Amino acid sequence: MDKIFYFKFLFFILYSTVVFAQENYTISGIVKEASSNESLIGVTIVFPELKTGVTTNEYGFYSITLPSGTHTLQISSIGFKDIVQKIDLNENLKLNFKLEIFVEELEEVVLTEDVEKINIRKPQMSVNSLSVETIKNIPLVFGEADVINSILLLPGVTNAGEASTGFNVRGGAADQNLILLDEAIIFNSSHLFGFFSVFNPDATKDVKLYKGGIPSRYGGRVSSVLEVFQKEGNSKEFKVSGGIGTIASRILLEGPIVQDRAAFLVGGRVSYGQYFLPALDIDNSASFYDINAKAHYRLNEKNKILLSGYFGRDSFSLDKSFTNTFGNSVANFRWNHIISDKIFSNLSLIYSEYFFGLELDLLGFNWDSNVRQFNLKLDINDFKSDKLQINYGFNNIYYVFNPGIVKPLDQNSDILEEQLTKKYADEFAAYVDIEHYISDKFSMEYGIRLSLFARLGQDDFNLYLNDDPVIFDPFLLTYLEADPIDPVDPPPGFSSGNGTGISDIYTNLEPRFSASYRFNTNTSIKAGYNRMAQYIHLLSNTSSPTPLDVWTPSGPYVKPQILDQYALGFYKNIKNGVFTIETEVFYKDIDNRIDYIDGADLIANNAIERVILNGEARAYGWEMLFRVNKNKFKGWLAYTLSKSEQRTPGRTPKVDNGRSNRETGINLGEWYNTPYDKTHDIALYGSYDLNKKWRFNMDFIYQTGQPTNYPVGQFEFQGLIIPYYGLRNEERLPDYHRLDISAKFVPTKKASSKWQSEWVFSVYNVYNRKNAASINFRRNQDTGVNEAIQTSIFGIVPAVTYNFKF
Amino acid sequence: MKRILFIILLVLAFTNCEDVIDIDIPSDGPRLIIDAVIKVDTSLAFQTVRVKVGLTDAFFGEVAVTDLKQITITNLGINPTFGNPGFVVLLEVEPGVYQKEVGNLFLTQGELIFQVDHEDQLYLARTYYVPSVPIDTLIQGEGTSLNGGQTEIITTITDEISRNDFYLFDFDFNEFFLSKDDFYRGEQFEFSYLYDRILEPGKEVDISILGVDRAFFNYMNLLIEQSKSDLDIFATPVATVRGNIINATDIDNIEFFDNVDQTNNFALGYFAVVQEFKKSIVIK
Repeated sequence: MDKIFYFKFLFFILYSTVVFAQENYTISGIVKEASSNESLIGVTIVFPELKTGVTTNEYGFYSITLPSGTHTLQISSIGFKDIVQKIDLNENLKLNFKLEIFVEELEEVVLTEDVEKINIRKPQMSVNSLSVETIKNIPLVFGEADVINSILLLPGVTNAGEASTGFNVRGGAADQNLILLDEAIIFNSSHLFGFFSVFNPDATKDVKLYKGGIPSRYGGRVSSVLEVFQKEGNSKEFKVSGGIGTIASRILLEGPIVQDRAAFLVGGRVSYGQYFLPALDIDNSASFYDINAKAHYRLNEKNKILLSGYFGRDSFSLDKSFTNTFGNSVANFRWNHIISDKIFSNLSLIYSEYFFGLELDLLGFNWDSNVRQFNLKLDINDFKSDKLQINYGFNNIYYVFNPGIVKPLDQNSDILEEQLTKKYADEFAAYVDIEHYISDKFSMEYGIRLSLFARLGQDDFNLYLNDDPVIFDPFLLTYLEADPIDPVDPPPGFSSGNGTGISDIYTNLEPRFSASYRFNTNTSIKAGYNRMAQYIHLLSNTSSPTPLDVWTPSGPYVKPQILDQYALGFYKNIKNGVFTIETEVFYKDIDNRIDYIDGADLIANNAIERVILNGEARAYGWEMLFRVNKNKFKGWLAYTLSKSEQRTPGRTPKVDNGRSNRETGINLGEWYNTPYDKTHDIALYGSYDLNKKWRFNMDFIYQTGQPTNYPVGQFEFQGLIIPYYGLRNEERLPDYHRLDISAKFVPTKKASSKWQSEWVFSVYNVYNRKNAASINFRRNQDTGVNEAIQTSIFGIVPAVTYNFKF
Repeated sequence: MKRILFIILLVLAFTNCEDVIDIDIPSDGPRLIIDAVIKVDTSLAFQTVRVKVGLTDAFFGEVAVTDLKQITITNLGINPTFGNPGFVVLLEVEPGVYQKEVGNLFLTQGELIFQVDHEDQLYLARTYYVPSVPIDTLIQGEGTSLNGGQTEIITTITDEISRNDFYLFDFDFNEFFLSKDDFYRGEQFEFSYLYDRILEPGKEVDISILGVDRAFFNYMNLLIEQSKSDLDIFATPVATVRGNIINATDIDNIEFFDNVDQTNNFALGYFAVVQEFKKSIVIK
């Protein structure tokens, strides 16, 4: 609260721990995987005698400053051979490490043992890492491996079931997740109704999900950070891997451009299931494809350039009456520069676009919308001492929001081509984040992020009487859209051009804090607090299967969302990591959560401020994760008990002509369930290695049914029969649960050939439960009686996938 | 063999399942539903004002009728005198139907207040008479769209330039069409309406046009959408469409509306006084 006090406290902590007792030298370098030169993220280098260590950053770089002398160094990372080395430290050393893969296939690990050991020590809480191998083991529909569907098995993460895009973390909305692919922000993380994510598992190197305790280097979304890093490309030899699946296939090629210095990686996925549909007389169709292309060049010991690009498109059409196309495109330039032995920097220049288009044959027009961002960011890691790491940097994003161009399909149509008003904004943030290992038992991570959002000028600007885009009718007790007054001319503060002039600025200070107290090597407790600000919002139609994704920036009528999250956790390793228990409780408070007035119209709405009201939201819950990691069996049980609700009270009554009208708000101003409130969320995952050839996996999910609206009665008016509804989100769909199993068969590899293959046999939804995707009501044409119709997407789906690499 | 496997897998995967299921829906308790759309034919001196009143029931149940103490329509524009009290009382002629003969002048001039007294609750609505324009012509067209099996009626009207008009067309069989004069102010307007089926030749179809105000236009728009039986993919958050009939029981003063305590105790339906023109066409 008191910002000056906070800063003084920060400086005091810093100064009190900088110790210059004796000669200290720095060891630094990069840790790579031996056969590909792929840099390794999150590998811990431990100095057991000194009881200290360091973890490699996102680019494999580490730096640690120790007193002179002879020390033993140990690197132990699951899937790799251990390295133990004696170091004579009497000058600054550059030590690069190459870890060799275990002779057996990279198996194991749900959450790497090492990450866990250091997690007990690291102050960070509410973060889960998933290894790529785990992701590839979790059986899913059509036998495909998937990043997003794997994180759904973690506590605190749910989604709306099949045919839903996005995911919800700790009772947060799908637009509140910051999704990063190699530092680039991705807007929509799913293909094909959420069955596939935009992350090609073959190209993925590291996946981390922050549910809370979010360090200050991340910002812009309030609920979570999903950070995915892809492989950079094998600079030692040329490799191909891929898979042929039931409805989609994928291939990945990587290899050196300059041996050991430069490499490329190209991967693609394409679905083909849609070609069989006409033969089966099905008029609906869904398909996707995506391409990942990367290249990197290590100029010298201190400099490395990385280039990456991603392009993906989804296409969904219903009965030829409409076609929906959407997808992300990203172009990314990064420059790693090692400034000194202790300081690492990364500069990124990113272009990212999300496109969403609808071709409505029935209504005769096309609606194309997109959001573009141009992002410049600089991140610096200063490994000041073995007890203190300071990260700082800045991030600037320039946005162009295009709510849509409406084009007629037919030249002779009555519909005129119309460009809805483009919106411009700039988001800037600067941060400082300190990882502070105060003592053997106690460590803290604290930091602050200053974020600033400027809404820039635009072509047309709507003004409303009394600045009220939504009117409350005191007689009918309903909210109505206000008509704009003075339609076009921008007010002072805008210039008449696009993207120039500033109309609104929002500034926020976002303090972040987490602390860890370790009772012994096996037990710790952690506490954390973070404040986050979110300046762009997704206006999505939550009650239908094809969401209309319109991202909109904060402005005069839409305020930024501000979140405060408090969390407390307890962690224990039992029997040296064979069993682990992690449990956390959290409480989140969000200001300025918007919701729609009843009957809001979203399609091609140029003035969305007329259908939304500001409110607040909160979520709280308890998460539990119990993991087993014993010999041939790995698995976990995750349970979350939580509540996610929001409230949209009536606005402060204005006195108008001596009349002061109290407003009803939505749901009479009472708390109501958010559309993603799930009371219970249970996930069970298990993996068993029978022998070198066979592995069996299973997963089971159970979620409380999603909130929905059922009609509570009906009436007749002028011959029409109309249902009417009760309060918002009071009812629930039936509970969602299913069981999936899979078996992986690895035939013996011929010694002479490099070809490796595996067969995956999987069954999704083993007991064929028809989980409700939605329930609608209609009058039966024959009997005249009302009935409830449940739509479910998948019953039991068996699949076979063939994966190969050479 | 592999191909068959492929196809089996695809069929399983892409067939959406739609099942009729049993669910328990809580009932909100019966609500009053008032259908008080008064259609004025200015070619007659008197109108039969007919108001239908009922009680809603649970979604899967029946729609019932009710009786109430009193329905009155007051005209604020009339100074009450002994011979002309400025209000009329509607009388129950059949269960749930209240009726009275009312003169044109009463309905077309001045603000009208509609009041219903039911079970100690007072429901109130206010409106003005909304004029319309007559239907110029009705012609049956050849046109069908997409796959045939439709009947087309081409309707022409001439809009009145001096006012902002909203029109509700009743195309018989409980089919409606809404239009506003934004794009044809003061001009002749022609449009096609397509029935989803072939109408039998020789059948007489009664089509009428009602002049409505913006609020009733919006109300009918939402109502028509909600009454459709197929799934609307772009449906927005469902909500009960409130008409213009408010619960005025606790309100001490019609001008100051600061005690919205009866927010959940509302009546469904609408009170509107609209000019109607009718025309018929015989299907070929």
